[in-house]
Amino acid sequence: MLNSINPTMKAVTIFVPGLLLAFVFDPFTPFVYLIFTIAMTFLLSDLSLKRWLLIFTPFVFVALSFSWMTMLYSSDTFSDGRILFSFWWFEVTEGALMVALSLGLRSLCLVALSLMFVLTTDSTKFMLSLMQQAKLPPKLTFGILAGYRFLPTFKHEMEVLRQAHKIRGVGRAKGIKGRIQQFRRYAIPLLANAIRKAERVAVAMESKGFTGSTERSHYHKMTVRKRDWVFLSAFVFVFFATVFASYMFGYLNIFGRQF
Amino acid sequence: MHLERSGRQSVNKKHLNNTLVDVENYSFDYESNPFDPLFNELTFSIRKNETVLLMGPSGAGKSTLALCLNGLYPEAVEGYAKGSIRFEGRPIEDFKPGELNQRVGVVFQDPESQFCMITVENELAFTMENLQVPREQMDRKMDHVLESVGMTAFRQRNIHELSGGQKQKVALASVLLLNPSLLILDEPTANLDPASRYEFIQLIYKLKQEWNMSVLIIEHQLDDWVEQTDRVLAMNRHGQLIADCPPHEAFYDRYKEMVGEGIHLPKVVKTAQASSTYAKPLTEAELLNVLGESALEEKVKSSGIQEENQEVILELKGVSFFRKKHIPILNGVDLSLRKGEFVGIVGENGAGKSTLLQIMAGILTTKEGKRRFINKEYEKWDERELRRELGFVFQNPEHQFITDTVYEEISFGMTLNGKKEEDVNDRTEYLMDKFHLEKKRWANPFSLSGGQKRRLSVATMLDETPRLLLFDEPTFGQDARTTHELMNMITDLRNQGTAIVFVTHDMDLVNNYCDRVYVLNEGEVAYEGVPSELWSEKSLLEKAKLRLPYQVRLQQELKRMERKEVVGHA
Repeated sequence: MLNSINPTMKAVTIFVPGLLLAFVFDPFTPFVYLIFTIAMTFLLSDLSLKRWLLIFTPFVFVALSFSWMTMLYSSDTFSDGRILFSFWWFEVTEGALMVALSLGLRSLCLVALSLMFVLTTDSTKFMLSLMQQAKLPPKLTFGILAGYRFLPTFKHEMEVLRQAHKIRGVGRAKGIKGRIQQFRRYAIPLLANAIRKAERVAVAMESKGFTGSTERSHYHKMTVRKRDWVFLSAFVFVFFATVFASYMFGYLNIFGRQF
Repeated sequence: MHLERSGRQSVNKKHLNNTLVDVENYSFDYESNPFDPLFNELTFSIRKNETVLLMGPSGAGKSTLALCLNGLYPEAVEGYAKGSIRFEGRPIEDFKPGELNQRVGVVFQDPESQFCMITVENELAFTMENLQVPREQMDRKMDHVLESVGMTAFRQRNIHELSGGQKQKVALASVLLLNPSLLILDEPTANLDPASRYEFIQLIYKLKQEWNMSVLIIEHQLDDWVEQTDRVLAMNRHGQLIADCPPHEAFYDRYKEMVGEGIHLPKVVKTAQASSTYAKPLTEAELLNVLGESALEEKVKSSGIQEENQEVILELKGVSFFRKKHIPILNGVDLSLRKGEFVGIVGENGAGKSTLLQIMAGILTTKEGKRRFINKEYEKWDERELRRELGFVFQNPEHQFITDTVYEEISFGMTLNGKKEEDVNDRTEYLMDKFHLEKKRWANPFSLSGGQKRRLSVATMLDETPRLLLFDEPTFGQDARTTHELMNMITDLRNQGTAIVFVTHDMDLVNNYCDRVYVLNEGEVAYEGVPSELWSEKSLLEKAKLRLPYQVRLQQELKRMERKEVVGHA
């Protein structure tokens, strides 16, 4: 189901709540929205929980470190309330803790939203949809697609380079100077090949009659249907519902102002 | 009748007798004010439904000409162009952008870089979308074209998972969707193994008739193409046209001229020229009809140390290798090498050849099985010592370059090993001299020509004479001269006692040079022994997708003909 949502609409669906979340500074709203996003991700797709956790977990640590830093260094606007505990020269107040939690949960919320998009969207369809719905120029979208094809080749080439240099007796680089030299040694053949390939692909595309003109027919017709709108509205609606709920419970905090 | 005749008078005579492309005094160069243009005052034409073979030494601008003919150049580059190219009597400047591309389809050399989509289906759709084919017709056209090239089963597959030969067929299919009047093949088989190459050429032969188009073949490996060629165009080093005539005339009447220009001629022609026949055979069958048994060459064994009782320098026993811990690549491989031996490893793509070579080089390790080099287990070798005794030449020489000049590149290993400066200098001079690189001493390795890069990549492995030198497809995509040079170098090395291993698709090379050959099939050794006995293992050859070498093909064909004769007489 998530796989068949129009990719452009899905991108908007991620983007709108993502942007709105930036204004909310209490932990309750992003927490509820995080639960909602994760629930939707698994209800509407057959993603394996294991794979999702594997990608999601590292971000939990990133979010934790964000929170930690915010808690210790929050600005005066947020560091009101009573002091919870203090050590060395740090004083952690109730307000700082809340803002820190909020920031951590907010970043996790964005990660969950992004994962919902990335793991259920086919890159080709996304580009085709951007071209058909968002009216992006074909030159750009097909360019991105052609570049995308090269990613695995790049990885393979790196591996070969590493082996070839090992044969020549160049070991792991030591020190900063060595690192820079190693980077140079890798970069030149990689770039040389990349430029050559890019040129060849461009020529091949043009040879197949590609002119970059927007007048073209479409093999995969990407459409926006009613359920895409329902999907988008649901995510926006739930966001405002959550905000309203946290207002009712008295948690809501926008830009440091308690409502 | 009358009308037609009066029409004829009004049109330029030249464009009427079904000329498709007409090139007149055309010169082109990438620089805007060239002293010696890449091609120089070319004049030729291609008729409808004609097959023309364009040949010339590498660097003569053959590929550039393809792009001039389909109208991409000179517009895409800031170059210099003079003269005119007409398509169906109309100057190519008069075509709208993209319009001419739809009449002239090109299949390029590199199978890796001519697609912009991920799946076969979407790639084919891309061409049709460019042409604004209505969506309802797309499915039908796609089915048709896939059937033509025999790729129906691959419609939903990802392109990057296909073999080189299959990729070229997809490239061909997407070009055929343009329904071109002229199909240009720009060395489409240079990166393919011989079996896929042969298959591709046969496919073109079939399609040409079905799709009603002219074909311009740009190649320097002419064998197998000649059969279907109506006319031959030859260019020299200076980009001038030196021949425009039927194949037998170009290959036989002007043999010396062609050889002098460094143009590589088909094997059949070389054999016929070496004999004293007056006939001009172009195919293997014709050659045998003319020459009979005298077409067969005495096999010249390459020199080197070949005694049975030479010491074993490398031994693998029961070696297996798994990718991602469970996908088997190699399965219980046994292999041994003697001093000074020349061994070929052959097999289909994905049979595990490169992996085996990497294990032999010690850049991949595995716990399954025993691996000994000279007199020690691989694990016990000191990395630096091992690299001194064992060299590895990669398929793409560029991958091995690590410095900015040819001189530094060759001396790099010696300096790293802490050799004395004058020794380093002497050895480097010696190697540069031997590999004809003195003039390029201060050039950047990346700026060298293909042959020079290959020579340099071998030279860098020879700071001390290694005991074993491994090559990963060294002749792939190289022209005949480079291959010849390489084989000379290798003969020299073997005389000094270096063992050589080639992973290769070139069966002629295996037949002419190798002492022993290993056939890998699905990660297992399917054959081990002298090449001459391999050629009679029919089912194995088929399974491993190997094509018989030229001389062996002649032999077998001859036997078949004799047998027929005997039956006929009885």
